[in-house]
Amino acid sequence: MSETIIKLLIAIVAAPLVGAIIAGLDRKVTARMQGRVGPPILQPIYDVLKLLIKQPIFLNRVQILYAFMHLAFMMLTLVLLILGQDLLLTLFVHAFATISLILGGMCVRSPYSRIGSQRKTLMLLAYEPILVIMVVGIYLSQGSFMASDVVAAGAKPLLLSLPLVFIAYMMAMAIELQKSPFDVASSHHAHQEIVKGVTLEYAGPFLAIIEIAHFYEVFLLFAVVYFFWAPYNLANAAVGMALAAGAFLFHIVLDNTFARLPAMWIVRFMWVIVFLMATTNIIWLYRLGTI
Amino acid sequence: MNDINTLALLGVIAGPVIFAAAIYFTKQTKLRNILVLGAALLTSALGIFIAASPSANVYPDSWVVYAGAGLEIVMTLAVLAIAYNIRSWAVGLFGTIQLVLVVISEFMHGESSIGPAFVVDDLSRVMVAIVSVVGSLILVYSIGYMKEHEHHAPATARSTNTFMFFLVGFIGAMNGLVLANDMKWLGCFFEATTICSFVLIGHDRTREAAKNAARAILINSFGGVALTIGAFLALLKGSTQYSGILYHADIIAFSFIALAGLVKSAQMPFQSWLLGAMVAPTPVSALLHSATMVNIGVYLVLRAAPAFVGTKLMYFIAIIGAFSFAATSALAIAQSNGKKVLAYSTIGNLGLIFTCAGIDSPLGYSAAIMLLCFHAVSKGLLFLCMGTIEQKIGSRDIEDMGSLLREMPLTTVITLIGMASMLVPPFGMLLSKWLAIEAAISSPIVLLLVVIGSALTVLFWAKWIGRITTVSYHPWYTIERISISKQSVLAILATIVVIAGLGAILLYRDLFVDIAIRAYQGTYISQSDMKLFEAAGNIPYWPFMAFIGLALVAGILAYFTVNASNVRAPFLCGENVPGSTKTYEFRSVKDSSHLAWSSSLYLRHIFEESKTTMWANLIAAVIILSMFAAIGVL
Amino acid sequence: MSVLAKSPWVVHFNCNSCNGCDIEFLACLCPTYDVERFGVVHVGNPKHADILVVTGSVNHRNARVLANVYQQMPSPKVVVACGVCTSSGGIFADCYNVLGGVDKFIPVDVFVPGCPPRPEAMIDGIVKAVGILAAKAKGIETPVADKPRITVSPSPKPVDETPAQEPDEVGAVK
Repeated sequence: MSETIIKLLIAIVAAPLVGAIIAGLDRKVTARMQGRVGPPILQPIYDVLKLLIKQPIFLNRVQILYAFMHLAFMMLTLVLLILGQDLLLTLFVHAFATISLILGGMCVRSPYSRIGSQRKTLMLLAYEPILVIMVVGIYLSQGSFMASDVVAAGAKPLLLSLPLVFIAYMMAMAIELQKSPFDVASSHHAHQEIVKGVTLEYAGPFLAIIEIAHFYEVFLLFAVVYFFWAPYNLANAAVGMALAAGAFLFHIVLDNTFARLPAMWIVRFMWVIVFLMATTNIIWLYRLGTI
Repeated sequence: MNDINTLALLGVIAGPVIFAAAIYFTKQTKLRNILVLGAALLTSALGIFIAASPSANVYPDSWVVYAGAGLEIVMTLAVLAIAYNIRSWAVGLFGTIQLVLVVISEFMHGESSIGPAFVVDDLSRVMVAIVSVVGSLILVYSIGYMKEHEHHAPATARSTNTFMFFLVGFIGAMNGLVLANDMKWLGCFFEATTICSFVLIGHDRTREAAKNAARAILINSFGGVALTIGAFLALLKGSTQYSGILYHADIIAFSFIALAGLVKSAQMPFQSWLLGAMVAPTPVSALLHSATMVNIGVYLVLRAAPAFVGTKLMYFIAIIGAFSFAATSALAIAQSNGKKVLAYSTIGNLGLIFTCAGIDSPLGYSAAIMLLCFHAVSKGLLFLCMGTIEQKIGSRDIEDMGSLLREMPLTTVITLIGMASMLVPPFGMLLSKWLAIEAAISSPIVLLLVVIGSALTVLFWAKWIGRITTVSYHPWYTIERISISKQSVLAILATIVVIAGLGAILLYRDLFVDIAIRAYQGTYISQSDMKLFEAAGNIPYWPFMAFIGLALVAGILAYFTVNASNVRAPFLCGENVPGSTKTYEFRSVKDSSHLAWSSSLYLRHIFEESKTTMWANLIAAVIILSMFAAIGVL
Repeated sequence: MSVLAKSPWVVHFNCNSCNGCDIEFLACLCPTYDVERFGVVHVGNPKHADILVVTGSVNHRNARVLANVYQQMPSPKVVVACGVCTSSGGIFADCYNVLGGVDKFIPVDVFVPGCPPRPEAMIDGIVKAVGILAAKAKGIETPVADKPRITVSPSPKPVDETPAQEPDEVGAVK
């Protein structure tokens, strides 16, 4: 019981803080890469605290409900993951969290926001199958859908059996982190194009809610990277951490080197190249007959 | 078996038919409505009684069998009459083949040890519960609906008495169909539902309705032929009953019955009749074409699934289902007609049920039954909402539903509940989709198709929900006035959806798992399948409740505490036209005002309907042919 | 220091500018000056912004846009007017379509002088604005910004002396 409470505390309290720090590091490293000093590492936390005390302006009340749903389902995703629950179910909950955000952008009569939502829907369409395939791959190599079995002692590191799926996941992750070239839906840099996309009509505390949900998501995404080398002992944990750090740097380099691409191009890229890559890996596992 | 059960069985089948006859000859509208209400009450009471009572079988006296045979001939003759009426030689041909086969089989003798003519087991109890409860609610709804429909229906439309006769009578036939074990009775009720569907689709008797009704009966009588052939082939091996076919594992006969099921459930490439059926008044779409009649196909396959574990046939059924799911999900994206989207989604979900049944493991089986139940209730509700909306705003186009939340808040909220139940964890639909993917893990092709399909479904649901919740700020909403029968039915169904949906995990754990275990008793199940099955039953319940509760509480608190002075217009680059009534207009050249508007995403250039349908039909036909080739029929 | 001061998000609105000030303002974001080290983010829309940076003079067509953009910002909010045009209309003051400075239409908190102002001056202006932002959050009355008293010759003479009608509270329900 007490173990569950500790896990819950990690999921609900520590995760957004770590996520915020990762986001802050991201901004700092990006700035350094561009030859700038960059903001303090705790900047995302300052941002959220500021947003919380701003005037809560809004367009309609449905929008607010969707923001809360986005946060609640994102938290639920993380709770399920940390409790070692079924990965596929966790994934569906996460998808619904994203859908809530999409709906939040759609339910206002703001053209920019709606276009952002539509692009976000396309992005969801682009990466969701990849993530499901990833979970299938995890099942094929571990014989279980349970997150707890992936990190169980004695399990084989996933990366060894799922190298191509890992690359595919990196792409899916780049979309979710809204990194170039995949940042069409809502980006810090794309304000000439669709202003701010999905989150355009959220302001003040409601935007803060979405930001917090984003911190949860950042933590979640990196936790999954860590899972790829997670059988529990100290040495392996170090490798897993290193893997997560590598993924982090990879995304920053990606963000800084690529220009933004059209939404449909991304869908095609994901469904043809990345999807095939992941499927190849899966077929290989089927042929090995590991289950 | 005791007498009360037999009486209930008789009541649930014959009761609606007797009521229907009474309704047909009633002159007064008020009396007719009371009779419909009576039929609904009787059927739902008996249906719930049967669902709650223990398993029972009705063993036939010889007259029961003869009655079945006689009625089947009558029904076939009715099909022939229709064929003459609409001058369709193809329907006539199908009817004749059926008639010939039925008459020949009269002179053949089956096994001496006869099983029950009617069976009450887990599966049929689930089906009777769905048909009786959802069906009765839709009957009540149709009282209010038809009153309004009479006003703006075309002059050619049939009388409401005829409509009610077939609608109420259909429930009896449907109940009979799910309870029947004797192939004669099965065939008779199968044809009866086809005829009901034909008449009800053609209710308005417009040119389009007549054309679509003709197509429906053409395709469905093809299904009828397949069923009769299946029954005939079974008879050649000596079984006169469905349980006999399963007992002998008569795969050839079953393959034809499965084909009949695919036709009746409108799987690719037979889907066109169901799409055409959407011209019917909405209660028909809700009752026949989403909640009950189209479930016959999956019901027939599900019933047989444990008997054919590991056969190629089941594998192919899974592939057809998964392919239909993926293809219709893609097709639904390009549609802006709300009813058509629902129709495609219905076909897709039935395909998913076929997939689960075809995977043929306890996990798949439980997922299939769960999907069947939740889909019937949710889709029934959604169709009824659609009908209410259509009667109010005069359009079924998704793009026209922009300010629905203001115009009819109650119906919109109920629609949202229905849509949410298709999409939100832990509601039943999503849970069963999850189970379906887990069950499909051992067959990669099925798995890929299901994954693609479920990714695509998100697109059209999100688009639609986004459109109907689009609203500007209103300090309060006035609830719209709709007739009491419609309103109460919507409310009851929505309550069922919410309670069952939130309790889906518990229902799965305590009900569907047991059903699956009982169904697969004595069948060999692989270790990994069993492990999955056990793991799926152990998902925790409280985190879902906790976080959904959190979101709702926070949302409701925010709803009542937000301050109207904080409302702002949307960002239109500062060019908003001032004034509270025109907040969505922006100023353009020469100070002209334009409404800020963005259409939803349809991807029509990718999923263009006719082209996609053509290719999908082609592929589906190839899959079905290879199914027959694989089991050695071709 | 208030958290408001730690993350000032800026929206930039070009009223009628010759783009000189805008280029200088964007230079602030570049590596040489890097305002992001103060937590400044250049957001694209007023709903997320704390500081409105205005450049250029106001004319008939953009007066209402300026008012709308200002009105759509959540409070507390401050306005930084960059360049001489924003205070008086600058060299465009006598144009037939120019109405004058920004302060005629929205309350300005900081004027940054120059034509165009140097990026350092703009950063200084933003830092001043941040202080005002923190004060406003605490409910302290802040003085309206000083404006250069002596203006260039010829003195600005707007064509139409009657100020453009300020739009109602857009979207607000009475």
